[in-house]
Amino acid sequence: MKLKRVFSMTLVTALSLSMIAACSGNNGNNGAAPTTAPTAGNNASASEKPADEPVTLKWALWDWEATAYYKPLIEAYKSKHPNVTIEYVDLGSTDYMTMLSTQLSGGADLDVLTIKDIPGYANLVKQNHLEPLKGFISEKGVDTAAYGGTVEQIQVNDEVYALPFRSDFWLIYYNKDLFDKAGVEYPTNDMTLDQYDELARKMTAGSGVNKVYGAHYHTWRSAVQLFGILDGQHTVVEGDYDFLKPTYERILKEQNDGIVMDYATLKTSSTHYSGVFYNNSIAMMNMGSWFIATQIEKVKSGESAATNWGIVKYPHPDGVEAGTTLGTITSLAVNKKSANKEAALDFLQFVTGSEGAAAIASTGTIPAIKNDEVIGSITSIEGFPADENSKAALSTVKTYLEMPMHEKSADIEVILNEAHDNIMTKNTTIDQGLADMKTRVQQILNN
Amino acid sequence: MQNETRVETGKPEKALWSKGVREHLVAYSFIAPNFIGFAVFTLLPMLFAFVLAFVKWDGANPMKFVGVDNFTRLIQDTTFHKAFWNTVVYTIGVVPFTMACALGLAILLNQKIFARNFLRTVFFFPYVASLVAVAAVWNFIFSPTLGPLNNILHAITGVPIEDLPRWAADKDWAMFTVVLFTVWKSMGYYMVIYLAGLQGINPELYEAAQLDGANAWRRFRNVTVPQLAPTTFFVLMILVINSFKVYDIFINLFAGADNQLNDSTRVMVYQIYNTAFRSLDYGYASAMAIVLFLLVLGITIVQFNGEKKYG
Repeated sequence: MKLKRVFSMTLVTALSLSMIAACSGNNGNNGAAPTTAPTAGNNASASEKPADEPVTLKWALWDWEATAYYKPLIEAYKSKHPNVTIEYVDLGSTDYMTMLSTQLSGGADLDVLTIKDIPGYANLVKQNHLEPLKGFISEKGVDTAAYGGTVEQIQVNDEVYALPFRSDFWLIYYNKDLFDKAGVEYPTNDMTLDQYDELARKMTAGSGVNKVYGAHYHTWRSAVQLFGILDGQHTVVEGDYDFLKPTYERILKEQNDGIVMDYATLKTSSTHYSGVFYNNSIAMMNMGSWFIATQIEKVKSGESAATNWGIVKYPHPDGVEAGTTLGTITSLAVNKKSANKEAALDFLQFVTGSEGAAAIASTGTIPAIKNDEVIGSITSIEGFPADENSKAALSTVKTYLEMPMHEKSADIEVILNEAHDNIMTKNTTIDQGLADMKTRVQQILNN
Repeated sequence: MQNETRVETGKPEKALWSKGVREHLVAYSFIAPNFIGFAVFTLLPMLFAFVLAFVKWDGANPMKFVGVDNFTRLIQDTTFHKAFWNTVVYTIGVVPFTMACALGLAILLNQKIFARNFLRTVFFFPYVASLVAVAAVWNFIFSPTLGPLNNILHAITGVPIEDLPRWAADKDWAMFTVVLFTVWKSMGYYMVIYLAGLQGINPELYEAAQLDGANAWRRFRNVTVPQLAPTTFFVLMILVINSFKVYDIFINLFAGADNQLNDSTRVMVYQIYNTAFRSLDYGYASAMAIVLFLLVLGITIVQFNGEKKYG
C-alpha cells in the first residue's frame, strides 16, 4: 500500500514537472496548425501555374480586429486576384514573434509572415524559416530605394528575407486643451531633450485623480532608453552602455519628482498608454506614429476625451538636427516551407509595393514607401490635427531603428529589457544596471 | 471433467495466453488510452528534455552536443541564481502560511457554527476564481496611490500615501504581496482537504481524551495533529511542488503587457520560458528545467521518508 502511494506520488511529481519539461521540448508543439491540407497548392513551385487556379494563403499577423489596414489590403488584392483566398492567423500581439517562431518550428503551414520586430526577424533568419528575397527583388525589379534605406538595414550577410510595408517613427503627442488651460505655449517641432523636460515640469499640476502629468513614458524599453542613441554616437548592440546614464538619470528624476507616472505602478496595473492620453491625464507623450490612426478613430468614436490634440517632432539632444527620431519597421516575409510560395511572394510584392502603401496610408498608418503623396493622404484624413506643425512633424531627417540588425539582437534584447526593468523599478542603481547590461551582453557577443 | 468435455467438443487449441496473462492484458487495454496519451505528450517530451540539456539547439538548426556546458553555465548565471532564490523564498513564504491558514479555517469550519456551508464556499471561492481576473482586482486594490488599501491605511494611520508600501510595484514588498495573494487564493483548496481529514478522525478519540481530562489545546495537539499527519504530508507535498513551479501568478501580478519580470520577481519557470522561447536556447533551458526537476524530486523524497517515520 505504502509502495503504491510512493509510486503514485512520484507519478504526480513527474506529471506536474513534465509540463515544464515539455515546454523546453518544443517537440510536442503542434500548435494551432490549421487543418486544411494545401493539396491544391502542392504544384505551386512549378512555374507555369494557371492564374485562375484557386489558392489559399495563410497570413500570420496580430490584432486583426484592432488593425485598420488588413481588410482593405486583402480586399484590394482580391479584386485583382479573385482566385486567391487569404486567411489570417492571429497570433496575438504579446510575444507575437515568439509565437511565430514556435509555430514555424512546429511546421505550421503559414505562407505569408508579418515580421514585427528586428530581434524576432534575426531569430527567424537564424532558424532558417524565411525565404531569401534577393533573387525575387532583382527578378521583379523591386526598387529598394523607395523604402528610404530600411531594406539595407535589415540585410543579413548580403541577403534580405523580408520587405517592409510599414515604417513607423516616434513623435510627441500633446493635449492642446491642457496646454491652453495651463496657459503654456504648445511644444514645437524643434525641442532639445532639456527643453522637453522643462516643458513637462511646467505642465505638471494637481494631485490625486485630477493630477496632470507633464509627460508619459510607456513601459517599453524603447520609450525611455533610446533617447540615448539619438546623437548617433552609440548603438544598443555594441556592448557598452555608460552612454545611457544621463538618459536614465533624467527619466528617473522626472519619476521621483512626480512629473511622469511611476514605471512599476504602470506595469502592475497594465496601464495602456492610450488610456491615460484619452482621459486627459497627461500633457505630452512620446509614442510611435502608429498611434495617429488609433487616436483619430477613438476621437471619432468618443472613446478619447483628448479631442484637441497635436503632434510635434521628437525631442533631440543638443547639436542634433530636429527630425532625428527612432523608427521601427514592420515587414512581410514568406515561409521557406510554404507550399504556395509563388502566390505568397506575389501578395508580398503587392502589400509592400506602392498599391499596398496607398491602401495602408488611407487608414492613417505610415507605409514603408513614404513619399509626398502618402504623407499628403495621411494629413488630409478627417480628424488629423489641422495645425501646420502637426503636418510638418511627419517629415523626418534621420531615423534610428529601435533595435538594429545584429545576429544576436534577440539575445541582447532580452538582457536589455531585464536590466531596463531593474533600473526603472529601482531593483538596481543606474550604474549597476548599466554594468550588468555590459557584462552580460559582452558574454553574448563573445560567445 | 469439464476439461475433458471441452476437448471433446472440438477445441483442440490451447489458449494463446494463460488466464492470468489475459487478465493483465485486459487491464492494460483499459489503461492504454490514457497511458498512450501520457507517453506521447508527457513522458517522451520529458525524456527528450533530458537529452536537450546536453546539447545546444535553437529549435531549427541541427543540435550540437556540448556535454555539461549548459550546467556549468548555470553555476555562473547570476540571473538564474536570482530566479532560483526568489523561487525558494516564495516557497518558504507560501508553504507554512498556507498550511496554517488552511488548517485553522478547517478546524473553525468543522465546528457547528452559523452559516458554515456559506463560509466554506466563501473561502473556497478564490481557488476557483479565474487567476487573471482576481490578479487584476488585487493589483487595483494594492495600487500604490489610487488603490483603496493604501487610502484606508492612510486614513487610519495618517502616514502620507507616498511613504506607504507600494506593494506589487515595490521591489521590497513584491514578494510579500505575492505570498499574501497565493495564500489567499489557495488556502480554500487545502482547507477542503483538511476538512476531509478532520472528518475522518474517530470521535471516540476525542471522547476518550476528554474523559482523561485533556483540555482543548491538549486534544488538538495529541489527537488532531497526529491523526492529521497523513493529510498534512499530502498538503505539504502538493504545496511545495506547486510553489516551485509557480509562473502564472507572477506573470499576472507583475509582468505587465510585455511579460517582463525583474530581479525581485523573476522565478525559475519564467526564466526557463524566457531562455527557451525568447532566446531560443532550448538546451540551456532544459538544463534549468532539470535542476528544477531534481530539486523537487529531492524534496519529495525527503518528505516521503519523513512520512514513513512520523506519518
